[in-house]
Amino acid sequence: MSSKIQLFSQILRELEVEVGTRDMATVVFEALIEAIQALEVEGHEEFEKQFDNLTKFVFDTEPKYGILINYFTILLNEVKKSEKTNRETIIKKLNEILKERRSENRKIYKFAEKINVEGKTIFIHDNSHSVHDVLKYYKRKGKHFRVIIEEQDFEKTQNSIEALHDAGIPFSVIPSYMISHIMASVDMVFFGCLTLKDTMEFVMSPGTHAVLTEFADHSIPSYLFINTNKFSYWKSKERGEIFYRKHTRKHHSKNIEYERIKYSHDRIPVKSFSKIVTDEGVFNPEQIKSVFEKKYKSFRALCKYCN
Amino acid sequence: MTTIALGIFLFAFLLIVFEVFDKSLIAMFGALMMVVVGILHPEEAIEAIDFETILLLLAMMLLVGIAAKSGIFEWLNVKIASFTKGNPLFLFVLFSLVTAVFSAFLDNVTTVILIVPLTIELMRGMGRDPKPYIFAEIIFSNIGGALTLIGDPPNIIIAGATGFNFLEFILNLWIPILLSSILIMGIFVVLYWKKIKPISKNLIDLCMANVLLKKIKHTFLKKTLHKDFVAKVVLLLLLTILGFLLQGFIGLPNYIIAFLAAIALAILTSKRINIHETFQSVEWTTLFFFAGLFIMVGGVEKTGILEELSLYVAGTTTNLFYLSLIVLWVSGLVSMVLDNIPFVTVMIPVIFGLETQLIGSDTTILWWALSLGACLGGNGTLVGASANVVSVGLAKKNGVRISFLEYMRVGFPLTMIMLTLCSVYLFFRLH
Repeated sequence: MSSKIQLFSQILRELEVEVGTRDMATVVFEALIEAIQALEVEGHEEFEKQFDNLTKFVFDTEPKYGILINYFTILLNEVKKSEKTNRETIIKKLNEILKERRSENRKIYKFAEKINVEGKTIFIHDNSHSVHDVLKYYKRKGKHFRVIIEEQDFEKTQNSIEALHDAGIPFSVIPSYMISHIMASVDMVFFGCLTLKDTMEFVMSPGTHAVLTEFADHSIPSYLFINTNKFSYWKSKERGEIFYRKHTRKHHSKNIEYERIKYSHDRIPVKSFSKIVTDEGVFNPEQIKSVFEKKYKSFRALCKYCN
Repeated sequence: MTTIALGIFLFAFLLIVFEVFDKSLIAMFGALMMVVVGILHPEEAIEAIDFETILLLLAMMLLVGIAAKSGIFEWLNVKIASFTKGNPLFLFVLFSLVTAVFSAFLDNVTTVILIVPLTIELMRGMGRDPKPYIFAEIIFSNIGGALTLIGDPPNIIIAGATGFNFLEFILNLWIPILLSSILIMGIFVVLYWKKIKPISKNLIDLCMANVLLKKIKHTFLKKTLHKDFVAKVVLLLLLTILGFLLQGFIGLPNYIIAFLAAIALAILTSKRINIHETFQSVEWTTLFFFAGLFIMVGGVEKTGILEELSLYVAGTTTNLFYLSLIVLWVSGLVSMVLDNIPFVTVMIPVIFGLETQLIGSDTTILWWALSLGACLGGNGTLVGASANVVSVGLAKKNGVRISFLEYMRVGFPLTMIMLTLCSVYLFFRLH
């Protein structure tokens, strides 16, 4: 990976931690509009070349963000479609994407209504805006429920606290290593995710695997919320290649240095979840596989860098 | 007695230069020695302290400390960064100018603390070398600080000794400061063109820069800005500057104006700030350093050495232009390697002595030469001014190492150019 790609990957990862995958993508599209407006190139050919380079650049980031890659592929095809496609056309398309994205969760809400949350306790682990939005939707619909937030990375926990507090949803927070004590009071677990890969694994917030296993042991149902535009249509790398960062830390009071390793994401098999709630319906793990494969075939025909 | 006084002063000066202990401790110890060995009576020691200068510094520290808590400066910086839309050249020019303007009204160290970390995050995120930006911010913080009475401690000391008001500083210094700013900016742009040239022909760079700007905007502006707090801060800062500008009409000393603003702001924002924390944030070590220094210089002054020094300098020439050149270049060169605060404190009685020798001439130019030399000379090396040291420390903390020689290769020639420009200015002022 070149240093520029590494830098961009780092910016995207930090943004994802701070605002979630969905809003990270919105930030990128807004930034892209400003970048295109500021771009000084002559003629369609040069613009196409630059956009192609940018799309390849986005493809090369680690981890790969399905939502970005999918939309960049659509935009690149739009640019290549005709010589008449100019910057204004792409900016218009980007504005349409942003508008569409603002309302895309409405489709998920429709299917989320199928889950009975009345009087239930919902456990959440990650900083998923999709999950936050679904919970807010339940609240608006007058449902009565409470939420337990798992305390983990500071930014993620803070974001969940702020989102639920602002929506007036009753919640409590529990450290991640103490969840075994509240199993009896939890009725269901909600998750969001980064993407669904061709290996039928969800790329999720680190720590999900442990949480999920613990709840599965107690037969507590787990629901995953994902918009189908987040699916990944490229060949996956081995699990061992997942991004992680090593750094040296110092003991707070003694002269001890140690290596600390932090992973960016977990990969969780689709079969680990009870139900997957998408903008196209509620599916069990077997069904989501066929939904993915259908989309995979049609999208790869469009995708220049998916191999 | 003369030898003992000089010995105490020079020994303390050396300890300060080599930072053997905190400089406030050294200055206070030197001051105490002046009293213990009988060079100064305790009452004379107290009288030697220029309380107007110390109170002005204290008031400004309080005012800026409360203002910074409102988040207004971070907000302004991020807005400025967003305004550039990631254009490196635009960022370079705008951040340098903002540093100069902030430094004219805040202290230089506060300014670089606000700007340097943001610059590093922005430049590294864009995959660019942040060093040219940091160099420019250091130099422009010292240039901007030289413009006003409150911009840099040497000016505060000069104002305390002479009674020059805020407007007089600006009226007498704006031409060399403006010309230096334009010239230095031009040189920087030519020197670092490859590193700061616009990226408008590269979509990847533009996209990266804009994503980063949006990320920084989110990170830095996450803290809730309380509109009432910000409004009060802006109002009081504007009133303070207006008060300084109209000081001649108001008839109140600068430190009273600054204190009125600081205390009024503290009262108005008492629900948003913790006054104990605010007072703790005052740099008491700096204030004690000043107090100790004033006493030490008082001791040396009492021995008559400084009067003899001014007689000697006046004896070399009676030409005011040459004298102002001597003051400018000596203070400029000394300030490159030594702390300019003790140097200016020592020079105050020397300049007064020169004025006595040149009765009948308008000798105010000597004070402006001292101000320009001391403030701009600090740009020459990394240890020339507090803002330089703090900026390099901030850079190191953020993973950017700047060596003494690396900075000097840029800072020294630019300082020589600025001092030459100031010499030309002095020539035209006197001819």
